[in-house]
Amino acid sequence: MALQVQERTTLKKVDYNFALVIFALHIIGLINLYSATHGPNSKGMATLFVSQIIYIIVGWVIFAALTLIDYKIFVKLAYPLYVLNVIMLVVVMFFGHTSLGAQRWINLGFFKYQPSETMKLVMVFLIAKLFHTHVKPQGHSFKDLIIPTILVSIPAFLVIKQPDLGTGLLLVGAIATMFLFVKVKRNVLVTAVIGILIALPVAWKFALRDYQKNRIHTFLDASLDPRGAGYNSIQSKIAVGSGKFFGKGFRKGTQGQLEFLPERHTDFIFSVLSEEHGFVGSITTLILYIILLMMGIRTASQAKDKFGVLLTVGIMSILFLHVFINIGMTTGILPIVGIPLPLISYGGSNMLTTMFALGIVSSVNLRKFLF
Amino acid sequence: MSPFDLVESSEDVKEYQNRYTYLYGTVILALVILFLRLWYLQIFKGTELLKFSEQNQIKEEKINAPRGMMLDRNGEILVDSLPSFNVTLTPQYIENTDDIATELASTLNIKKEDIIKKVKQSRRQNGVFKPVRIKEDINRDEVGKIERMIIDNPGLKVEMVIKRNYLLDKSGSQLFGYVSEVSKEELPQLNAKRKFEFKLKSGDIIGKAGLEKRWDFELRGVDGARFVEVDARGREIASGKDLILGGYPEGADYVPGHNITLTIDKDIQQAAYDSFIKNKHTGSVVVLDPNTGEILSMVNTPSYDPNYFSTGISPEIWSQLVNDPFKPLRNKAVQDHYAPGSTFKTIVAIAALEEKLITTKTTFSCPGYMNFGRRKYNCWRKHGHGPVNVYQALERSCDVFFYHLGIDLGIDKIAKYARKLGLGSKTGIELDNERTGLVPDTEWKKKALGEEWQPGENLSNAIGQGFNLLSPLQMATSYAAIATNGKVFRPYLIKKIESIDSKVLKVTSPHLIHNAQKKENENDVTISHETFQIVKQALVDVFEKEHGTARGYKIPGLHIAGKTGTVQLFQLTAETVFAKCENKPLKHRHHGWMAAFAPAENPLIAMAVHIEHGCHGTAAGPTIRDITLAYFKKYAPDMIKNLNVKVKEIVTPQEEE
Repeated sequence: MALQVQERTTLKKVDYNFALVIFALHIIGLINLYSATHGPNSKGMATLFVSQIIYIIVGWVIFAALTLIDYKIFVKLAYPLYVLNVIMLVVVMFFGHTSLGAQRWINLGFFKYQPSETMKLVMVFLIAKLFHTHVKPQGHSFKDLIIPTILVSIPAFLVIKQPDLGTGLLLVGAIATMFLFVKVKRNVLVTAVIGILIALPVAWKFALRDYQKNRIHTFLDASLDPRGAGYNSIQSKIAVGSGKFFGKGFRKGTQGQLEFLPERHTDFIFSVLSEEHGFVGSITTLILYIILLMMGIRTASQAKDKFGVLLTVGIMSILFLHVFINIGMTTGILPIVGIPLPLISYGGSNMLTTMFALGIVSSVNLRKFLF
Repeated sequence: MSPFDLVESSEDVKEYQNRYTYLYGTVILALVILFLRLWYLQIFKGTELLKFSEQNQIKEEKINAPRGMMLDRNGEILVDSLPSFNVTLTPQYIENTDDIATELASTLNIKKEDIIKKVKQSRRQNGVFKPVRIKEDINRDEVGKIERMIIDNPGLKVEMVIKRNYLLDKSGSQLFGYVSEVSKEELPQLNAKRKFEFKLKSGDIIGKAGLEKRWDFELRGVDGARFVEVDARGREIASGKDLILGGYPEGADYVPGHNITLTIDKDIQQAAYDSFIKNKHTGSVVVLDPNTGEILSMVNTPSYDPNYFSTGISPEIWSQLVNDPFKPLRNKAVQDHYAPGSTFKTIVAIAALEEKLITTKTTFSCPGYMNFGRRKYNCWRKHGHGPVNVYQALERSCDVFFYHLGIDLGIDKIAKYARKLGLGSKTGIELDNERTGLVPDTEWKKKALGEEWQPGENLSNAIGQGFNLLSPLQMATSYAAIATNGKVFRPYLIKKIESIDSKVLKVTSPHLIHNAQKKENENDVTISHETFQIVKQALVDVFEKEHGTARGYKIPGLHIAGKTGTVQLFQLTAETVFAKCENKPLKHRHHGWMAAFAPAENPLIAMAVHIEHGCHGTAAGPTIRDITLAYFKKYAPDMIKNLNVKVKEIVTPQEEE
């Protein structure tokens, strides 16, 4: 009997508003995915829509499961998962599936697993584990940061090597946010900024591939290369802008339907949305993301332990970077990098990882008042 | 969890207390940036960009590579690719479907209802932006009329496509094959082994049968791409304008497919087909050069026009082709096999001569039947042939003579000689689904049917009526081997493959599979030169002597060597054995065979003709003669120069075999 009461209260404590916002984003995603995959030239893409629905359903199961599981379990699991995921990254380097010139997938038959997607999340577990026992109100020194930095560098290097510069930098960005959040000493911060400033030209000269440089060149001046790298950016801007206030209507966007937009079901899905549903549609979507992020930050601030705070902060920074970079890229304020829009873009790995991560946030949220 | 832990943990969390403000701040800042950007693009610049999206666009367009040509042995075109024009209509830009359908119907001579139906269906399936094909392969006159209509009807378009063009129409269509759009089901299967740059996409045209299918990879080329300036309706617009976006992108050039030179001779191919049509025959022909194995002609009837497929075949014609009991889509010359009938007697005679069971002087008497076991085995000639030797037995096709040989030789020996001449295994021709045929022996019967070989079966197999099966191609190959005194060449179709810049990628040279005069393994049999001479003389007699079964088809001055064959399809009752074949229903009539080569002294061509339900082997006679004349007129006119080509038309001889 007592158990029943316990369960009822547990279920009552779940933040259903949080789930509702996620669900709303799923619906927006499906509407636009349908439009992007049912154009005149998208023969054979229709099955993607069905796959996405399956990913979403599986995503919710994962979300529910993670909500009920105590997130503390990841303190123990952080290292094993880290090792496993790094191994997968190495595997993908040698045996992975090549698509668009990059090796990113392992084909599991029913599903193409992208280890770089889960790596971001596993990295957050690890960093949260390393810092949640520290008490450093004055900030962390160099010595405290050596091991975490090395641990981030390995997967970041492997991902960038794929080459998937976008995901690699996103990984580094999310972890840097966590470093800043746990506070670093001023001299560390200054050194880091100077270090980056020195590293940039070096990386430009030695590490970046030609097409990556090209993307940045054309971002700075799209008219340099309207046919190649600039083409995507220009077509995307045209798509977004031509939607005007109310948009051209469902399945009526010429940019998307006539295939001016590349990768319109994945990285450029926001362009399809903006073209067909206008300013109203894009702002609604943007605001839903902002609400989701705010809810996340509130969850962090109310978490009962440091591990919960750090997990939530890390997950939210990944989500934030995804949304900001993706929308920034489709609207032409950031260079084109292959970053999907979470919960909306087509793709199993990203959908399942995102739902996994949000499930953890929900779990942190559920346990905030448990005393 | 103890209260102590709680206190500690909340104390613990307090360390981060003031830092959440920064996080909120960052999110708000991002919101503001993106909001302003969207406002700038969609509200401030919206009208301009909308206009831009409607007017100026650069779009990547696929350019289909033209398929390579197929040429005959002398470089004459058999199959090529031509530009063709289709009319399309994009539903999105139609103002009044009924009006435009009425106008199009009268201009293009098609039904208005069909146009409306097509547009509605595509609209539902593919959305409003996908152009709908209204009519394919329109003529020049219609192109002009449509071009004028476009001015008032922006949804209308004339699109140029490359059409596959088969110059011989129905002749050899099963050999050349046909092309059409790759289907959804084929796509994953075909792409499984292809490298990225050669992967097929939906909408691509592929070879679906015959040489088009087997050599699709070589013929298809690599599609190119170009960037064109189009308006939002997908229509290409005049270039030369300064784009806000900069200049035109460069596309990728297409690479045309390779040209394939075949061993086929256009004139002989046509002559063989015309002869079949003239005589209203159903069946197959294979003509080859016995000295190399080069196939000069391959014809099957009834046939179809592969050009129908190039412009999209109508479902009515398709179902008609698929349901035709005479299988017009099938290359029966290679993919089907039949009992050889009396044409097989030549091989039995060779076996008997080699095994020293008979000499040219041995005779057997034929009273018109032979009793063996508890059964009576009939000769095709009711009154018998009297005493005959091997020459006469082949000339007249006496069954009783070969019953004797069959009993004396036994099936296993016959099988060895048949295999030595290339029967019972695939020839290795460059086409899909070749039939292996069947050369039976005792071991085979035990394995396949689980039964012992019956002595009576030696009789029926000796006259080619038992388990023996061979394709017209194998028939031609084995007679070519007799023609060349034992050289079995692999028959082939591809002479060479050249890329568009005349680089030779593949050249086929003759490949000798067997030499019947030589022992090729331990238990092998050989066939001597003398045996070949005896048999060849007998085969010449078939055409030249007064009782020869093909005497009506001789060409004066030119010695043709050959053999007729008639294949009963059903076990006949005593009353029906001698009933007139022509009086039976078509499907009960016998198949007719004829295999021949010429000139007998120094053979230049060898051929096999199979006539389905032709009643007699001699039904193939006119075709043998037509093909032979066509060949010698073209390649050795002096050999037949004294010939009065107007040979009297022969009526099928009464009582012939």
